[in-house]
Parts: sequence; structure tokens; C-alpha cells
Amino acid sequence: MLFHFVERKWWYFLISGLVIVPGTVFLLLGGLKPGIEFRGGTLIDAQFTSAPANEEVREIFAGLGHSAIVHRAEGERVQIRTPQLDTDQTVAAENALKAKYGSAYVGSTPQSVSPSFSVEILRNALWSVALASLLIVLLIAFAFRSFGWAAFRYGIAAILAVLHDALLVLGVFAILGYFYDVEVDSLFVTAVLTVIGFSVHDTIVVFDRIRENLKLNPGEPLNPVINFSIMQTMVRSLITGVTVVFTLLALYSFGGYSIRNFALALLIGIISGAYSSVFNAAQIISLWQEIEDRLRGRARPQLKGSTPA
Amino acid sequence: MSRLWPWIVGLIAVLAIWVDIPKHQFSFPFNCPGICFRLPGGASGFQTEIKTHLGLDLQGGTQLVLQLRPDKLPPGTTIPIPELNTQARGVIDRRINALGVSEPVIQALGDDKILLELPGVSDLQQAQEIATRQAFLEIKVPTDGGGFKSLEPPLTGANLKPTSVAFQGANQNQPVVQFEFAAPDDQRWVQLSKDYLRKPVQITLDGREISAPTITVVFTSGSGIIEGGFTTQSAKELSLLLNSGALPVPLEIVQSSRVEPTLGQESIQKSLIAGIIGLALVALFMIGYYRLPGAIAVVALLYYTVLTYAIFRLVPVTLTLAGIAGFILSIGMATDANVLTFERLKEELRSGKSLRAALEEGRVRAFSSIAYSNAATILSSAILFVFGTGTVKGFALTLGIGVAVSFFTAVIVTQMLLRGVLSFPALRKRSLYGVEERDIERARELRATPPVRA
Repeated sequence: MLFHFVERKWWYFLISGLVIVPGTVFLLLGGLKPGIEFRGGTLIDAQFTSAPANEEVREIFAGLGHSAIVHRAEGERVQIRTPQLDTDQTVAAENALKAKYGSAYVGSTPQSVSPSFSVEILRNALWSVALASLLIVLLIAFAFRSFGWAAFRYGIAAILAVLHDALLVLGVFAILGYFYDVEVDSLFVTAVLTVIGFSVHDTIVVFDRIRENLKLNPGEPLNPVINFSIMQTMVRSLITGVTVVFTLLALYSFGGYSIRNFALALLIGIISGAYSSVFNAAQIISLWQEIEDRLRGRARPQLKGSTPA
Repeated sequence: MSRLWPWIVGLIAVLAIWVDIPKHQFSFPFNCPGICFRLPGGASGFQTEIKTHLGLDLQGGTQLVLQLRPDKLPPGTTIPIPELNTQARGVIDRRINALGVSEPVIQALGDDKILLELPGVSDLQQAQEIATRQAFLEIKVPTDGGGFKSLEPPLTGANLKPTSVAFQGANQNQPVVQFEFAAPDDQRWVQLSKDYLRKPVQITLDGREISAPTITVVFTSGSGIIEGGFTTQSAKELSLLLNSGALPVPLEIVQSSRVEPTLGQESIQKSLIAGIIGLALVALFMIGYYRLPGAIAVVALLYYTVLTYAIFRLVPVTLTLAGIAGFILSIGMATDANVLTFERLKEELRSGKSLRAALEEGRVRAFSSIAYSNAATILSSAILFVFGTGTVKGFALTLGIGVAVSFFTAVIVTQMLLRGVLSFPALRKRSLYGVEERDIERARELRATPPVRA
């Protein structure tokens, strides 16, 4: 019983593409919305017993001289985004809500970040992503250190698989941001980095088996060895993925709205990571080999033709 | 050594459960056996309370990030910025202490920023007062033009003895703030009264006039009073501010947030429910898929949860919402080590080995994968911890500790339990481990043909 993991690689690439391509389009359209942490400003998350109309809340803020973007959120909440308000302005705005809605207004969670500080937060986030990426490359280099010359292609394939997962999470959130104004914050960056760590390791486990089986079966063609290796590691990949997905599902469904997006980013990333290490990473190795063979195949007749006699 | 492990594991379990029990404390010397509930009022002597430290997002309160603005100081100030930061934190610390806020956080963020966390303070304006009111007292002298100017060098509140509130007036009902300059400013204060006798001097706070009394007599000491039409409350506040000292540098709020305590309570409940459901799902799945070893994994997982939580309480790790998410996620990741072990165990069993031999072989062969897997996660947690801020740090710390503990539980506890189970003859059936006779047959056939076919 052998699955044809390698032979169907174009199907698997297609499935990945179906998610990644629209995601990338929306990324380029600027769908990824930075939260106030990265942009500066004030976010007042107000809780009501029965949420008022967005327009009404917007007018209250207009009356105070603040241009506000108001969104309805789950659980009778209203999210009000304005340019940065100082403490007195924030308290005045809350008092205005209290005055207007009385006991229907339960309370609110205000959060303010100055534009100058947000630049710094964003810079730190980008730095940690850059550093983590560098470390991941080093980790890959370390993991494949005994692969010899092949290390290069295994490394590239692992990096491509990781990029796949990062791009997929970013893309999905760009789509969510474009249509539902979902914003990204430093927790989102954390989720992406966690996903990268998880995914790289999953991929390395598969590649390790491929190498082991290549050694045990010298002279075997590459594709069947890859199929066999994926089969051997798949159960473990799937079960580990499933248990992590279970805990994340619980977190997503019952953990409350404050960490729902964080759990969602992790959930998408972990599923994508499990998928890419079973269905994409090793297939890239196979594709690489096929391209190489074809190039050599084309080179050989020329070589023969050039040396007559 | 291996004979010792069950005892060590058992002892750790007992200790961990003891630490996990809510609200008790170490008392030294031990004056109560076992679990000591905290007594109202508390006994004297050495006491370390073991409790779950909750972040602001879970217990409610106000958080501010303050930016030092040395550019707003008068030109010529030469105190280095890290020194200003330390001084400013000292001033804020004294103000908070005077107000009795419990367990505040006052931390330097780099050289030029301060993180301030005030649990239980939900009044943003009060927090702002504490953090940014400079409380810079200065005595100014009259100019010929009828205005006031600073002395050279300025006579400020930097050298004051502790101030107090007193009452004066006909009915002793007018609150005033009494102050006294310490040396050498007391001599300057006396000299000032000679220089400007029968003239008004101005007392200013943060550049604004509080009062401008006319000097009627030559002072004999460094003491004086500020009468500014105070209420008892405002006089007390001013006295407190002066006693805590002036901020050496203006501070600006660059980030602020406030969480209501009720919202924090709700978050705790929700994440608790999420954690229990997540754990239950993993447990059901593991038992359903791996049978007896699955059940053992669940015991190990419970052990893991109890131990990790105990470590959080002991270190202590401040739990935030993101931190709890990291903890719950680590429950899922902790099973990975068990999965690696059991998959190897199954493989060895299918190849026809005896249970005991398969267990030993599985342990040895799974170890490097487990070590590698955990190292990778701990490494990425470390990066997040070092380079992250606030929420990210909390997540990285709990995830990192969780994974490190899971390494211990997977390698030591699970193996120990598996070996323990094998000592019961009734539990030595292969079917209990998810491997039937026909699986062994099939594996034998597979081995007869080459595993890889072109």
C-alpha cells in the first residue's frame, strides 16, 4: 500500500496555490490592516447590554471633535478607533458614552499608542521576524549539515515550505482584513513565528527519513523513496498536528474574543505547516531532481553529438 | 538510579499538587503542618505567599508606557539619560507606595522609557497624575517690572525635608503645607527673606503659581508654609507629591491601556474552560487511538499540567491571556513526544519484538527525535522572549517552560509508567497497545518484499 505523494505533487501545489494566490493578491491590495499598536491611535472597546448603532456612536465622538471609525463586535461590543486621544479626552469620551446610554453602557477598555511609539513597536516586531528567520536558516543548515551537497536543495525546500506557511497565514489575514477589518498586532507576529518554528521541525523530520531511506536503499530512484518516507512519518505528523489543532480549536471556540484571532492565526498556520511538510516539502525535492534530470537529459545528446568518431 | 525514579517522580507530584492548591503560604518557622491558609492580618515572621500571579489583562488595572523627554529640560542639564530614568522610577515608586497600590510594576524599557503597571487602578486620570505630574517646586523672586524670576541658581524643592499638612486661620480650619529646607538651602531661604523683606515672593509648582505671599519678617530657620486655598485633600496631595520628590525629567505617556477587573475575571474563566476542553479532547483522542499507552499519556499529560502550573506559581511567572494561550498550546505540543515514542513502540511491536524489548528499543530510537523537537521549540521561544515585548514575552515564557517540562514528563514519566504497567501480566497483551497479530503478519510480508518499489 503506497500513496502516490510525489506523483500527485502538482495537485498538492495547486491546492496550496488556491489559498496562497488570492491571499497574496489581497496582501498586495493592502489587506493586512495594522492594529493601533503598529499604527498609533486610540481604540476604545466598549461593552453594552445592547449595542447601539455604529452611526450613533460615531456622532457622539464627532460631537467631541474626534473622527471615529466604529465597528460592531461580537458580544454586544462596539470598537471605536480614533487618532490618539490623551487621557483627559479618553475619559471625556467614556463619560459621554455613560451619559448617553446610562446603565446600557457596561464599561470599556481603552488603549492608546502614540504614533512615535508605534513606529518603535513595529520596528521591534520586524527585527524579531528577521532574526527568527535567520535562526531558522541556521537551524536548517545545522539539521542538514551531514547531507553533503544535497543540503542546499533540502534547505531551500524547507525554507520554501516555511514561506508557504507564513504566506498562507498572512494571506488569510489580508483577506480577513480586507473584508472584515480584522487587524494584526504583535500577537499575530508571535503566532507567525510560532508557526514557522513548528513547521520547520515537521519538515526536518520528513527530510531526515528520506535521507535515512536513501542510505538504506542505495541506487533506488528518488520518488519511491520519498513516497515511502512520507508514509512512515505521516502518522506522527498528523497525530501531533491533530492534538495541537484540538487545543487550538478549544482556545478559538471558548477562549474569549481577546485571543480568538491569535488562536485562528495559529490554527491556520499549524494546519498549513502539517500540510506543507507532508504534501509540499519533499515534493519540491522531487521536482528539483526531475528538473535536474531533464536538463541533464537534454545536455547528454548534445554531448554525444559533439564527440563523433 | 532507575529504581529511584518512581520515588522522585512521586515526590515531585506531591510537591507540585501542594504548590498548586490555591491561597496558601510558606511560613517560617513552620507553624502549621501541610497546607497553611492565609490568615487575615497575617502572622509575623518570614512568609512567602505562593500564588498565581496574574497580568493586568486578567486582574484589571492600568498600564502606561512613559517616554522620558530630556529635550524639555532647561538647557545645560547634564545628567545622563539612564540616571534620569532611575531617578524618575524612584519618584514614581515613592508616589505609588504612598497610595498603597499593591504589586505595581515599574520597569525601565530601554534607557528612555518606563513601563508602569498599576493593578486595581482603573482611574486613568489618577494614573496619569502619578506618572506625569512633575511636582517641581520653585521659589521665585520679584523683578523690577512686577513679575517674578528664578534665583541664580534656582531655589527649588530638591532640598526639602518631609512636608506635612497643618491647619491655621481663625478656626484652625485652613489647611496649609508646611515645609522646611535642608542645608544649604535653609541659609538661602533666610537670606532671601532679608533681601526681599516686605516684598512678595512666588511659590510655583510645575511653573504655575500656587501662592505669592509677602515676606513680613526675617526668617530664622529654613521652614515656611504654602497657603494656596487648599482643601484638606489637595493639601495632602501636594504634601505627598513634594515628599516623593520631583520628577527629574518631564515624562510623556506614549502608550496607555486599562482593563476592567470584571473583564479580566471573564477572561480567566474562559481560558480555564478552553484549557479543560482542549485537554479533554487530546485525552479522548489519545486513548481512542493508542488505547493503553494513550491512557498512560493522559496520566503523563495531567502530571505535566500540574507540574507546569506549580512552576508558574513558584518562579513566579505572571500569567497573561497570551501566556495562558502558550500554556494551552504547549499541552498539544507536549503530546508530540508521547506520539513519537508510541509510534516507535508500535513499529517495534509490529516487527514481532516482545513488549519489553519493543519498549526499550522505542525509547532509545525516539529519544533523539524528541530532544530535537523540543530543542527547536525552546529555541524559538527563547528568541520571542528576548526580542518580544509584554504579551509576546508572556507567551514565549509559558510555551518555553511548558515544552521543557514536557521533555521531562515524556522521557521520564511516560517511560516509567509504561514499565510499571508491564509488571501486570494482565496488561501485557499486544492488542492493548494497538497492535494485533495480523499487523505483525502484514509487517512480516512487507519485509519479505522490498519496502521501496520502483
